[in-house]
Amino acid sequence: MKKYQLAICISLFMVLSLVISGCNPAAPVEKKAMKVGFSIPLTGAAAEKGAPIGQGQLDAMKYINDELGGVNGNKIDVAWYDTNYDSQKATAIAKKLMEDGCMFFTVVASKDASASKEIANRAGFPGLVCFSSPSLTHPPKHIYAQLPDYGDDWAAFSRYYLKNIWKGEGKPKMALELLNNSTGYGVRDAARAAADQLGIEIVATEEHSATTISETDALNRIKSKNPDVLFISSTPAPTAIILKNASDLKMLSTMTVGCAHASFTKALIDAAGKDVCQGVYGVYPTVNWGDDVPGMAKRIEYCTKRHPEYVGNNDYLVGWASSLINAEIIKQALKTTSVDVLAKGDAAAWQLAENTGLLNVKGYDVAGLHGPVDFSNPLDKRGSKSVKIFQINNGGMVSLTGWVDSPNIQYENLDWFGK
Amino acid sequence: MELLIQNIVTGLTTGMIYALIALGFALIWKSSGVANLALGQLVLISSWFTYGMLVQLKIPFLIGMLLTIVFAILLGWLIERLALRPLIGQPILSLIAVTLGLAYFLEGLTAFIWPQGQGYLPKAFPQDPIQIGTATVQQELLWGAVISLVLFILLSLFFKYHKMGIAMRATADDQLAIQACAVPVNRIFSMSWIFACIVAAIGGILISSIAAINYGLVETGFKSFSVVILGGMESFLGCIIAGPLIGICETFGGSLFGSSVKELIPFLIIIIVIMFKPFGLFGEERIERI
Amino acid sequence: MSLPCGTRNYSYNTDMAIIRTKTQWVMFSLFLLALFTLPFYLPSSWFDIVNSIGIIVIAVVGLNILMGYCGQLSLGHAGFMAVGAFTTAILAQSLQMPFLVSLICSGLSAGLIGLIFGIPSLRVKGFYLAISTIAAQFIIIWVLKNWTGVTHGANGLDVMQASIGGFIFDSEIKQFFLIFSVAAISVLFATNLARSRIGRAFIAVRDNDLAAAVMGINIFNYKLLGFFLGCFFAGIAGSLYAQYKGHISYEDFTFQQSILYIGMLIIGGLGSSIGPIFGTVIIETLQKLLTNWVAPWLEQTITFLPTGFSSGLNLMLFGLVFILILIFEPRGIARLWSLFKGSYRLWPFSY
Repeated sequence: MKKYQLAICISLFMVLSLVISGCNPAAPVEKKAMKVGFSIPLTGAAAEKGAPIGQGQLDAMKYINDELGGVNGNKIDVAWYDTNYDSQKATAIAKKLMEDGCMFFTVVASKDASASKEIANRAGFPGLVCFSSPSLTHPPKHIYAQLPDYGDDWAAFSRYYLKNIWKGEGKPKMALELLNNSTGYGVRDAARAAADQLGIEIVATEEHSATTISETDALNRIKSKNPDVLFISSTPAPTAIILKNASDLKMLSTMTVGCAHASFTKALIDAAGKDVCQGVYGVYPTVNWGDDVPGMAKRIEYCTKRHPEYVGNNDYLVGWASSLINAEIIKQALKTTSVDVLAKGDAAAWQLAENTGLLNVKGYDVAGLHGPVDFSNPLDKRGSKSVKIFQINNGGMVSLTGWVDSPNIQYENLDWFGK
Repeated sequence: MELLIQNIVTGLTTGMIYALIALGFALIWKSSGVANLALGQLVLISSWFTYGMLVQLKIPFLIGMLLTIVFAILLGWLIERLALRPLIGQPILSLIAVTLGLAYFLEGLTAFIWPQGQGYLPKAFPQDPIQIGTATVQQELLWGAVISLVLFILLSLFFKYHKMGIAMRATADDQLAIQACAVPVNRIFSMSWIFACIVAAIGGILISSIAAINYGLVETGFKSFSVVILGGMESFLGCIIAGPLIGICETFGGSLFGSSVKELIPFLIIIIVIMFKPFGLFGEERIERI
Repeated sequence: MSLPCGTRNYSYNTDMAIIRTKTQWVMFSLFLLALFTLPFYLPSSWFDIVNSIGIIVIAVVGLNILMGYCGQLSLGHAGFMAVGAFTTAILAQSLQMPFLVSLICSGLSAGLIGLIFGIPSLRVKGFYLAISTIAAQFIIIWVLKNWTGVTHGANGLDVMQASIGGFIFDSEIKQFFLIFSVAAISVLFATNLARSRIGRAFIAVRDNDLAAAVMGINIFNYKLLGFFLGCFFAGIAGSLYAQYKGHISYEDFTFQQSILYIGMLIIGGLGSSIGPIFGTVIIETLQKLLTNWVAPWLEQTITFLPTGFSSGLNLMLFGLVFILILIFEPRGIARLWSLFKGSYRLWPFSY
């Protein structure tokens, strides 16, 4: 009887191990295409921003493959996963993308990127982040930012404010109203690093959670400090509450209000109402929906056809631009490297994609959609370095400036950075 | 002075919203002794349902509200029938755990139907601010406070005078004895879940018409646990007093120690209350016997 | 626990032994062999799943001591894991401590924090305790987020891979051996603990703490010991997680994670030594399969549902399994397993 049991066990074990080893894919011989990975918070807490960006990315990849015939005639494979805005999932997805044989990967959200950055940096797997925070690109390693981060928004807005709006004597007084995650903290860090240098006095820093339903108490504290300008870095729903409360407290008539790009979308105007938003300034790193630039027509065509719910949403544009940059990176890499080497998607391919691809992207204009992209500076890992200042007028966003440069803040030299 | 009054007013009004959600919790605890940890998810799913009715299907406001209430009734009945009833008589651990499973399931259901993660409801109340002395308050928050008070009075009267309410209290006290008196305990349980879901739906519509529908509603649910703990789990009066108290603590904490402390205060209150006065302000202290 | 036919106890030693018969020895060694030779036949892409299973098993084993044996509900287990993870990050990174030292310190620090939040368990139980551990979770995460001088707040901390005596665990497979060695020791420790005086005292406290006190068990000590041990394992798991993942921030340790661990434990089987393993392996594998393969496939094939619907499936499925297990088999899969073993021994007879 016992021998019988033993035999059953052994045979079970054998069968199991056979089944498992059967799962091991025998190295496929067919020619592989080059592959790019996408880690997208399509659902979850950040879906309001993540979904339009991600859909923009995927639509642009479809456009590149279908209409442009890929890059230099080579179709690009797309591997994308939904992170659900969950750190642990984002890390697992970064690993999955490495195993899938991607050349490099793009991440939409800064939270997902900070979860996967160490994995990518360890392996030398280059990553491109759409909405980034300073901690991702400082110190510079293998993670690149597509656009200026929230801290840069603040710096650009402050410069614009000092130059064009501020009429008084001495230093203007600024209050910050920040979301309690990296969206807000990026601005806090930048203000700490550069406020003195720019000549701005920060008089109040208030935090709020994403679930806030009333900010009147915080705004009253801000009001008692009598600031000249209020800067908000948050997502649309809380920003709408802040603006509404500020208008209730009659603050909007006496002070200038600026928003960082996380909240400055159509959703904000819809949520707060156009009367409340009237005259609010905002920073956004791309051109406006419908502006006359070369890449706009195709983008609107795809958006209306495939995702009509995002028409008028500038976030979709960020995603679209992100994929155009992907194509440019591959184009640069293909100048010196062959398709087969890149398509392997192993450590050597990652290194080549970074050194011959990413680092060679210089002055690429992204079909005019956002500031020129330049990854060649080893100390500044931000692609585009410029933003635009907008103002809300009659429920629409009006661009006030051309590209405003936002120089890299050298956080590495500050001993408190990240603490 | 101006700041002080503003803090009190803001705290009071936001606290009343916590109290409203907490009422739904106390309701179930009072009548069936089940701790409903899926509180926030009930609020979340009914808000999304309202969104589906009003925004996606473009149904007129009042009919949409009515449909939401019907949905809440069905939801409460289904939850009790499918998840809770099979567990009658099981240890308390199972009863707590099943609400956790329920929380996960409901959250998944909302993500399944409304994966966009964020939705905006049409504004249910006038937007003009109201001045109370020197303080300014959002009108919608005042309406929220009024609704909580009305619900509180209705529920208290119901539990005090209505036959069903009395039976509910008796059920929580001793299930076996009340069964012996030929009271249909099962019906009482499902009634309590139905009422709780209605309260959650009202709270959900209220909060999400002020801010937005997102996962944050679940966190607001957690915060209102501090209300039930401070007020005492089975006391409606406790809810309606502890809610504003916690709201005021939040705003004052924010004023004194910086606004990041606001998030912490409800949870600190939970720990402090449980360590020093576990049954809350108005809770009933139960002495255990072997 | 029924013994196989023909097995008798002739001494106290044999009565206490975990492994009683030759078949059990063979099975056990085969299992260990199969486990530790996984790298030879499992494709390397699976090790992400395998390693995270190993880490979670340790955390759930801790939760099992606390919940399954001692009967104290903890809804803040991810918070305690976070304490361990940050301890490792700070000790190994800033203070350059050897990994093994920081591993133990992580366990101890998480255990101590667990002790503090376990104090309410002396006065309250059931739902009140559940709420106080929810509060523990949020308070811990709040501190980690705002104590920026030490934890770097939202930026998080980078952690080096573990290294013991110059040997660096720098690949998934090396990590596998590290994680599973610790996991095996933890499981063994927990199994033995449950059969010791402490374990029996825990069970007495779980079943009725007043009666246990009457019988002369010091509930004060044992409840706190339960919290300490449960959180100690959470800390160890957190420490392994930190060095495995490389970058941690407070956002890694969410309340949902805490619920997930409880779910794994209950699905696996509360209060059995093998339950945590069953629960973790099944739930974690299911979730990974769903997110990595099934969800993308569903998204591509089913187009009439809104994009992203599949992320909800994951939560729904877990919630559903959780509720069904509670209703139909409250003692979890471990119970099904022992039923299976029992009927297998008697096969082909029904009893």
